[in-house]
Order: sequence, then structure tokens, then C-alpha cells
Amino acid sequence: MASVTLKNVTKRFDDVVAVNNVNLEIKDKEFLVLVGPSGCGKSTTLRMVAGLEEITEGTIKIGDTVVNDVPPKDRDIAMVFQNYALYPHMDVYNNMAFGLKLRKFPKDEIDRRVKEAAGILGIEQLLDRKPKQLSGGQRQRVALGRAIVREPKVFLMDEPLSNLDAKLRVQMRTELSKLHDRLQTTVIYVTHDQTEAMTMGDRIVVLRDGVIQQVDDPLTLYNKPNNMFVAGFIGSPAMNFLDAKLLKEGDKYYLDGAGAFKIAIPETKVKEVPEIKEYVNKQVVFGIRPEDLTDASLTHEFDITEDNSFTASVEVVEPMGSEIYLYLTIDDHSMIARVDVETKAKVGDNIKLGVDTRKMHVFDPETEEAIF
Amino acid sequence: MPLTLKDIARMVGVAESTVSRAINNKPGVGEETRRKIMKIVKEYNFKPNQLARGLAKKETRIIALLLSDLATPGYTEIIKSIEEVANRAGYQVILCNTANDIDKEKAYLELVARNRVDGAIIVGGELADKNILNLALNKEGRLVLVNRLAEEVLIPTILVDNAKGGYLATAHLIEQGLSRIAIIMGSIQDFLESEKLNGYKQALKDHNLPLREELIFETDGSRESGYNTFLNLMELDEPPGGFFVTSDLLAVGLIEAIKMGGYFIPDDFAIVSYGESLITSIINPPLTVVAEPLNKLGRLAAEYLLKLINNQSPDRVIRVLEPVLKMRASSNPQIKS
Repeated sequence: MASVTLKNVTKRFDDVVAVNNVNLEIKDKEFLVLVGPSGCGKSTTLRMVAGLEEITEGTIKIGDTVVNDVPPKDRDIAMVFQNYALYPHMDVYNNMAFGLKLRKFPKDEIDRRVKEAAGILGIEQLLDRKPKQLSGGQRQRVALGRAIVREPKVFLMDEPLSNLDAKLRVQMRTELSKLHDRLQTTVIYVTHDQTEAMTMGDRIVVLRDGVIQQVDDPLTLYNKPNNMFVAGFIGSPAMNFLDAKLLKEGDKYYLDGAGAFKIAIPETKVKEVPEIKEYVNKQVVFGIRPEDLTDASLTHEFDITEDNSFTASVEVVEPMGSEIYLYLTIDDHSMIARVDVETKAKVGDNIKLGVDTRKMHVFDPETEEAIF
Repeated sequence: MPLTLKDIARMVGVAESTVSRAINNKPGVGEETRRKIMKIVKEYNFKPNQLARGLAKKETRIIALLLSDLATPGYTEIIKSIEEVANRAGYQVILCNTANDIDKEKAYLELVARNRVDGAIIVGGELADKNILNLALNKEGRLVLVNRLAEEVLIPTILVDNAKGGYLATAHLIEQGLSRIAIIMGSIQDFLESEKLNGYKQALKDHNLPLREELIFETDGSRESGYNTFLNLMELDEPPGGFFVTSDLLAVGLIEAIKMGGYFIPDDFAIVSYGESLITSIINPPLTVVAEPLNKLGRLAAEYLLKLINNQSPDRVIRVLEPVLKMRASSNPQIKS
């Protein structure tokens, strides 16, 4: 078990900067998820920790040791990728053991490790089976077993579940989380799937263009995104962004959507973030998550007034089973609301929507940084 | 048919130049259009460089063949069959002897990374190391492994099932009516040797014969060890009647010792060796061997690589070939030497 520290880590491929000055402290036994769109540098970061990619600048430490020049085999790490090789002519035991055999581990030690890993993964009864006799989930466990028998200080996983079908992926997510609890070891996990990140990570690192956007626990990331990128990337359906102007009328501050909406910012928010006052008469971006828009005709948790509601036209009604997504427009703005299945909204209706202003966000349109 | 820029342009309803700009992350493409284009790129695993490369005619029509040790018996045949397939497809082959040196291997792999060759076949060696893994993770890194294992990443691979070879050798001796069969092998720490031992054990088990630890001889693989092992075995109360020897050098030593003792092969002792070589066919008596399908191994490796170069995937990413038993006089009195 070990912590992993990245200090000012940069990776350049010729003149392309893939990872830009990344600073990160991953705690011992932590499950840390690197998430971001394709090309954001998450896999490159992982491969630098693994020792597969050389670091252009900066240092990486595993525990107290700087590993910049330590080859992967001596780093006490094990890697799990989405495409793993299970050799069809070897049984499960040998598919888990061959790496240790090739590294010249003593036979007894190999036996102990393979059986222990099989026990942890619940595949003891499969040890003499060949891969073709296994289900997709069982195969995945064998691939994990191969990493576990290395008894690494840190597991590095790069989209290990992305080749599985949706149902199995959900099941394996839970299994991986349980496995982490059992193994009590540090895991760095790369995914492009924000749901996977949210459900598995103790902390999540959101990357974009090689730069860390935010490092936080899942709820903080969701509730207090640092910028529009994080706000839009985390959460599904994504947060609605609406262009607005900040107006001051009397003591009150409003987000004005050029006649389409006029939402008052709660006093408490203004007190918490007085910097908002600097934006008076300036353009801002109003962010609101689909679930924080409510069909005003249904029961709701907060009072709906003129200050926190607007009327929008229903373009599409998408029933999701436990809830309904309404695709809406007002003037040039389009948005999604996640509302209760009780809604009577139909395509073409104009419906009144309440905004839970306690959960509203405002961003600077130039920097895209969150004002709150 | 791989997807082209034109196809994507048609699917999204934009100009080809827009697709090209989106893929190359250049300005002038709306966010929504870019998103649609990149979704298709991802869905169809469209490789942006593929077209650019095709246009620029940057293919080298050369493939690299990395050999872990040029002196390994059987490599000549593998080289020949790879070259034959490659030449027929209009490719030339360059031979690179890595001599099991990780730095030499890295330098040769740079040829692939820098597009100096269109791909590489890596023959032999033990576990795929970081240079191979990293290259394989890069979509442009076209690699095929032959008789080399990779732990973390799935790389197109052709292997010979050594355990099956051990099984065939042992089962053949059992079928000759022998029940006490010794295995004389190299280091058990050597993965391929341990696989042959596994096959030996399995054959005994399947034929309801007991496994006798005193008949398993782990050696340094030399001719002298073959000789000395026979002398040691003769000390046993009940010496074995058959030998499975895992290399031709061990077999030569063993045969010398048997002949020196005034015994006859196969009348007194039957022998099966592993691997076809000049020695095994000209020694007296000619040796029954477990022969690896080297020609097929090379041919498939070359075919796999050519598929990868043409952006196709082989049907089975890992292909395991079975060795065959070549019966000669050393194990069967019916066959005259």
C-alpha cells in the first residue's frame, strides 16, 4: 500500500502537450478516478505512473520513492486495461500464474498467491477451467486476479470495464468497489464515463486538455463545480447553461434572460459570494441542473414565485420510467428538466417551471469559472 | 470497408473539409457539429491519420522481425515463412536480433513508433515489457507476438502449446506399453519447460499412471546433463523404460550414455525429444520428436501483421497452435533407423 504523488508532471509528444503541469496527491488506500473526454490526458497520466510513458517534466513518487527512472516491473504496481489477454490453452490457474512463473517466483509462493486471489474474487472453483468455459464477468475477474497476484502497492486501471455490456458493467462496478474495500490498496482508475467516476471514486480528478479542472469527492464535484466544463461534464443529463445579464433592482440581484426569464439570486448566495456584485449589468451564464427545475403544477419542496419561475415550451417529452425528461425552449434558450412522472406536460404545452435557486450556479462567460 | 472522411461528411451533412477540421481540432467548426463528428469517429474507430498517411503514401512496405535470439533452433524456418508471406504481399522484411537485450529491443521498436517500418513481429522472449505494452496501447503500433506472453494488454499473438507437446510425447511413450517414464528437462523456472512438465503430468494422470517425483529431472539443459542423468537413473531400483527429453542437446547426451552402457534404443529404452532439428533427424537412431508447426507459426504471424497494417483485425487475436508428434525409430521398434 502506498500513496502516489505527482508534482508538476508534464508530458509532451513533440510539440503537443498531453499532460500539463499536473499536481496530485493520491492517498494510501484511496480509490481515485481520473475522468475526462477522449484526449484529455487521463490515460497518459496513468501510463506515466505505470512507467510505460516517460515523464517530460516533474516527478512522480510512489510511497516515498521517486520513480521517474524506475522501470514498471520495479514500481510495485499492477495494471488492468480494457483488453486483456486470456490464453485459451491455459486454465484459469495458469492464466493468473504465468506472469509470476515468468518472473521466477517460487512455486509455493505462486500457489499461495493464486489461491488467495481466487478466494478474494470468488473464483476458486474455476481454477481448472479454460477461458472459453467462463462467462464475461468471470473472465474479467481472472484478469483482475492476474493483477492481484502481483500484490502491488497500487492498482492502475484504464477503462477496465468499457468492453463489457451495460448490465455487466454495472455489476462489475460494484464488484470493483467491494474488491477495493477488501484489498485495502490504492487504486487509480481511468474512465471517460462520468457515472462510473461518480459511483466508484473516493475522489475524482476531472481533466481537460491535459489540465486538471477539479479534484474533489463526487458530491462536491456535483454540487460545487469549479467551472462550466466540470459542471457540464459531471451529471446526466448535463447542466443547463443559459446566457443572462446580472441586474440589480433595489436590494435584489436578478439573472435576466432578455425577457425569457428573470430569476432572483437568493440573498444568502449574495452574502456568501459578494463578488457577484461586480457583475452587475454584465453578461453571465446561469447554470441549473435538470433536476433543479420543477413542474410548478406538481407538489414541490420550495415556494414558487415570480422570482424563481418562468414559462417554457415543451419540445419533447421523454419518459425514463421513474422520471420524465422534458426538452424545453424559451426564446433562443433550450434546456432539459427532469421532472416527476406525475407531470401532465405534453409536446407544444407552455408550462411553468420552478427553479430551485438554492442550487443555481452562475459562471463568468469569459473565463468559464464558477462565480458560485 | 473502412469509413472515409466523405462517409462521415455525408452522415453529418457537412463538407469534408469541416470533418477534417473537426478531427484535427482546428477552429471553424460549431460545437454541436464537432460533437456529432467526433461521436461517429469514436463509434467507428475512425483513425484520422489513416487517410493522411494514405494520401502522403508514407507506407514503407517494410516490416521488422525482432528475434529474441537468432541462434534459437527453428527460427530459420519461422523467418523463411514470414518472409515468403510478406514478399508475396509486396513487403520486405528486416531482421533484428535483440539478443534478449531490452535496450536493443527498445531501439528496434522505435522503428515502429517512428513509422520507419509498417509493423513488427516479435518472436520469443518471456514477458512483454513496457516498450511492447506502450507501443501496443498506441493505436498506430502494429505488433504481432510469436511465442511471447503479455500480461496486461491483448496483443495479437501466435503461440505453440508446449504443454500439449509434453502431453503428446508422454502419451506416445505410454502407448508403447511403458509405464515408468522419466522427464529430463531444463530449469523448471523456465516457463516453457514448466509447461512441458505440465503436459507430462497430465498425460500420466489421464492414463491412470502415478506421478513419480524421482523420475522428474531438472537440469541445466546441457549435453553433459543428459549423459549424467542417465547414470543417476540407473541407480534407481527400478529404472524407467522411456524418456521424454525436452531438448535435442539433452537427448544427445542421453543417447551417448545409453550406448556407452551397451543398451539398445528403443528395445531397452525409448526416447522422445522436443523440437525438430538437424541433430534429431541424423542421430542414430533418428529421434521421435514433438515438432512445432514452425512454418504455420511464421505464416500466421505475417498474415496477422498484414491484416493489422490494412486496419483489419485478425479473427482470433490469440492463436494457439498444437505441435505434432513425428514418430521415428527412437521410440518404436517397428520403425527401422
